[in-house]
Amino acid sequence: MDTDGLNDALGLSNDKSQTLGAYIYQPPKHGKSTGERPSKRRKVLSTTSRDKRADRQHFVPLLNGDEKAESVQLRYDTYQELWSKQENKIQDILEDVDSGVLMDVLSFIRSTSPQTCNGCIPTALVTVGSNVSSLSRLLSRLNGQLISTEEGSVVVLESGDAPNLKTTLKNIIRATVTNTDGNDGYQKFLIDRAGPRLLGYDLDLLHDYVQRKGTKKLVLALRDSEAFDPGLLTDLLSLFKSWLDRIPFTVLLGISTSVELFEGRLPRSCVALLQGKHFEVQEAGNCVNRIYETIQADLNTSLWLGRNVTSTLFENTSDYFQSPEAFSRMVKYAYMSHFFANPLAVLLANPDSTVLTQSKLCKAIRNLPSFRMLCEDLIEEGFTKQARDMLEDDEYLIQETPKYLDANQQRMQKMFQAVRVVHACLQYTQSAKKPNVSDLSVRALSGELPESTIVEEMFATAKTLDSDKLDKLLVRLQGIMISPEVDAIQEELSTLLDRCSESGPLRSGYNINSTVTKTTVVQQRIRLSKGQADLSEQAVEYTNIVDRVIALLQVHLTETLINPQNLFLHEAFLFDLRNPLKETFAPRPRFATERALATPFDYLLSSSDITMTGVSAKQPATAVLYQLYLDSGALVNVHDLWQAFYGVFETEEAGGCDDRVVMSLFYGALSELKAFGVIKNSRKKTDHLAKSAWMGL
Amino acid sequence: MKRKLSDAGDQPPVSTPKRRRTALEQSNSALNGHAPSGDASYELPPSARGQSTPKKANGVSATPLQQSGLKTPTHKSKARGLFATPTKPKSAIAATPSRVKNADRSARKKSARVLFEQDEDASWDGSERLAEEILNGDEPDTEKAGQDLAESIEPEGAEEAPEKGVKQPKRRAGRPKGARNKRSPTPEGELPAHERYFFQNRAGPVKTSNATLNKVPLLTHEEYFEKLGQYDDPCKEEKEYLQSLHHRSFPQWAFEFNEGFNICLFGYGSKRKLMDQFAEWIYNYHLSATTTPTIVMVNGYTPGISIRSIFATIVTAVMGDDAPSKLGAQPTEVLELLQSALKSHEEPVTVLINSIDAPPLRRAANQALLARLAATPLIRLLVTADTPNFPVMWDISLRDQLNLVFHDCTTFLPFSAEVDVVEEVNALLGRKGRRVGGKDGVGFVLKSLPENARNLYRLLLTELITLLDDGHQSDDESAETAGKAGDETGIEFRLLYQKATEEFVASSEMMFRTLLKEFHDHQMITSRMDASGMEILGVPLSRDEMEGVLEDLVLG
Repeated sequence: MDTDGLNDALGLSNDKSQTLGAYIYQPPKHGKSTGERPSKRRKVLSTTSRDKRADRQHFVPLLNGDEKAESVQLRYDTYQELWSKQENKIQDILEDVDSGVLMDVLSFIRSTSPQTCNGCIPTALVTVGSNVSSLSRLLSRLNGQLISTEEGSVVVLESGDAPNLKTTLKNIIRATVTNTDGNDGYQKFLIDRAGPRLLGYDLDLLHDYVQRKGTKKLVLALRDSEAFDPGLLTDLLSLFKSWLDRIPFTVLLGISTSVELFEGRLPRSCVALLQGKHFEVQEAGNCVNRIYETIQADLNTSLWLGRNVTSTLFENTSDYFQSPEAFSRMVKYAYMSHFFANPLAVLLANPDSTVLTQSKLCKAIRNLPSFRMLCEDLIEEGFTKQARDMLEDDEYLIQETPKYLDANQQRMQKMFQAVRVVHACLQYTQSAKKPNVSDLSVRALSGELPESTIVEEMFATAKTLDSDKLDKLLVRLQGIMISPEVDAIQEELSTLLDRCSESGPLRSGYNINSTVTKTTVVQQRIRLSKGQADLSEQAVEYTNIVDRVIALLQVHLTETLINPQNLFLHEAFLFDLRNPLKETFAPRPRFATERALATPFDYLLSSSDITMTGVSAKQPATAVLYQLYLDSGALVNVHDLWQAFYGVFETEEAGGCDDRVVMSLFYGALSELKAFGVIKNSRKKTDHLAKSAWMGL
Repeated sequence: MKRKLSDAGDQPPVSTPKRRRTALEQSNSALNGHAPSGDASYELPPSARGQSTPKKANGVSATPLQQSGLKTPTHKSKARGLFATPTKPKSAIAATPSRVKNADRSARKKSARVLFEQDEDASWDGSERLAEEILNGDEPDTEKAGQDLAESIEPEGAEEAPEKGVKQPKRRAGRPKGARNKRSPTPEGELPAHERYFFQNRAGPVKTSNATLNKVPLLTHEEYFEKLGQYDDPCKEEKEYLQSLHHRSFPQWAFEFNEGFNICLFGYGSKRKLMDQFAEWIYNYHLSATTTPTIVMVNGYTPGISIRSIFATIVTAVMGDDAPSKLGAQPTEVLELLQSALKSHEEPVTVLINSIDAPPLRRAANQALLARLAATPLIRLLVTADTPNFPVMWDISLRDQLNLVFHDCTTFLPFSAEVDVVEEVNALLGRKGRRVGGKDGVGFVLKSLPENARNLYRLLLTELITLLDDGHQSDDESAETAGKAGDETGIEFRLLYQKATEEFVASSEMMFRTLLKEFHDHQMITSRMDASGMEILGVPLSRDEMEGVLEDLVLG
């Protein structure tokens, strides 16, 4: 066996790159590919014009590679356009959410000084909870604000930057200077000063800098305060305290547990140095809900996330404490997936028919389950001709498709409008647990909302609303529903209310107060009878209005709350695949490894027709060993394991089986299992291994 | 799916081996990183007129994101079926409810209860043994029932193996001691994972055989590589096919990079080759652009790699000749330099890290720094992770900074560069001394040393063996002590020096140290500090080997 072949078998490259720690990649110039490379180059040169576009093209042609280049480009452009719109909206929300705390913190920083704090260090305690990312957002905006007004700056310190006091001080000073002057500025700053050269951690440097810049506020933000060593923190703070008369420090502590817990970790002498205020950042959940509502229910939306995607998104947010940013990244990934891999996404670009004229695309449309349903509907309703044309005439299909798409997109928009109507109504009817828009959306997207108990209860309570609440509800509905009926009812109600404004709120006939229990004594027995109380004329009128409102709502909801899965072309405007999202953001690497080893042919599809039952020498060595390992007890005798391993290879290969070769495979497998951390040396017996992982646990 | 990638630049040649599943592949998607996931089924809309709608009508376009090329059996049950221990066909018993069988069954039930209720303190008495025998009496039945449970799966099979194979490699004469003990670590049938855990961890003495590897000659580095070269991989083609599937994801990964995501590849097998190919692909993909792309490769498994060196390499890659000669000693300094350099940079920098979870990079501080690198704009980070539990390295804030998307890239390739196989196995088997060649190696070195040195080594060995013997007597857990290799027990430096002067081996500490240095150079002794700061000397040999060496020394 020559070394080349061996290295090939091992997947080792012949150059030394694999043993280097880090290096700059240079494409290999080995003999093998010399035949390929020049030809590739030539191709590139001869098709320069085409290549320019290919260079810009980030998408791969779909439909078996037959997709038109324009269509590919359109998909990409549409993605960019749609997503950038959504991203801006998300950014606005994030800024809006933060702005409250930002203003508070900013005014705190501006208003406080050591003098106002009895000589203590002014401190802002910001509890972020699980919403970790919000703090860095907040800090960078704070920094921007302070720098723009030339008041000072914010220096962010992480626990990793603070191994000991010297390094921490050095990091603080460097970060402060580079924050405004850049890296070169820092170098210059160190050199360009009169007098003896100071060491990098001397706070005199910072004093100098503060004087030069005229800094009024130097905010030092510890992003993960709990992770700092308490001793170090004490030293640092006492140092700041002694420099407070020369350097205007303000400390900002990011706390993810609670202020009490944090305070408990510090010595009292250290706590006594601080005086400040507590700020709370909004929990991630609210923010995420708002983002979701904006993305889905906005009137300009043209691509929606389906039920599965929605539930995956919210699962991840709650299970993994995801930040709003991570949430929006997942949404982004959903958009990316849709446009990258779905050739029908090109329809969202409203392209002219020339782009669409691709026989493959038509074929693809005809293969949709929703197309099938449409055709069945058409035939049922007697439009046989139309159905036939759709099936046979490409041109007709291309002409009709955008129309359907438009109509169905509008129905989606209306659906989300209806969800918002339900949400608004629930604000007035439900008192205890108000489901948020995302919950309602999941139900609506699966077509369950109209029959759900939520809606039923909503109607029941809506009937009993008094006139004040109903008035408010109607005003709210006017904002969401654009319907003349609502306006009319609203007008009638207000005229009615004008007429009897002095008598207090009106109640409808369904209200519990309007049923009266009569008590009569008949033959020495008490008889209770319920009956409708005599309603005043206004009340009757009001009951009428309530009925109309309810009827209107019912009609509206049943009309609009359709099951989106029944819409033609929902595959193009509704992204509802759980999988790329779930697996790319919440992977199960242990499961994957275990599966690969326990059932290797899940991955390695065997071309031969061997029926696989149990371990065999046809499997990779590590997989064989792992399966033997799975069947062993908590303690494994290496000798016996080796015997069993050898047995597997021996039985398969009749005769020609070198035990040393098998031994080398055994070695390889054993070392890999060790690297995975599933076995370790056991001290209990000689040559025994201890099992440290159980599959599936 | 035979996607033509020609438009997207220079693709690595995608060989699509002829498979019977080509038809299925029509429905492949470009997003196939998530390939072998169990639940990738595309849900058909619940159709109102379901009967007339064929279930799997969705063709090319309807399932754009469906499943990727790896046509893995998606059903877990099916997947497990391949290797499942078939459950005992109950009907065989149920059909003939003879009295004897019933009695057997109840006895079995009872004995199972005995085994089950036995607690840790309970002595290992006869009742248990009986109970076990009754339980195991089941087995012949099982085999008769036509279960072709691969015999080698069962560890009994392991113990039976010597009987079958006459040409067993160096097997011990006679039956292994534990062979009669029929308590199988393999539970009957399919147990849920947690039950299996408790089954395999139940109380009672360890019931493995006492066979050791002493008689089996272990491999040296040279032999390992030589023999591995002779192995003909039966799955070569499949592995290549798997690799080609991952290739198809390259444009997708590039797109993800473009959109600001970093990528993490996981799954079983070395992904180094895939990374190389991806690097080459990016290089050629951007070739037509005016500038050459900046790609930095990092091998995380390299022993002694430091974060600072990684950052420094990136700085040199970005700044070229403008890089300052002094970068600063702290990794954070280098990182900040890099960040400020990138502010004036336009082209993105691709950093590919092999094995980010390898021991040299595993520390939390290192991961935090890498996360900061990942959060830097213009840095595109592709990392691979090999161990099954790597996500525990990152807490939420690190995950947030890293901004990763994960792809399962199982390759089944050996970790030939990542793991030093022979060394690892030796460490695992507690044979670190293999490095010097065990007993023979030590003997060989000793022969070439002067008399004094040999005497010192003899002294050292005598002391150690005496210590081991003492420990053996005082310690009632004999198995525990026997398992300890020689390097665990040790003699204090002062004590040995004292003995050496008494025996006139060394007259001064200087000389004593010189002699010891010779041993150190040949890795014949180990030295460590104990809790009180005293230097403890030991020998990296097993007890048998020590005795052998001592014997040779005394006789020679």
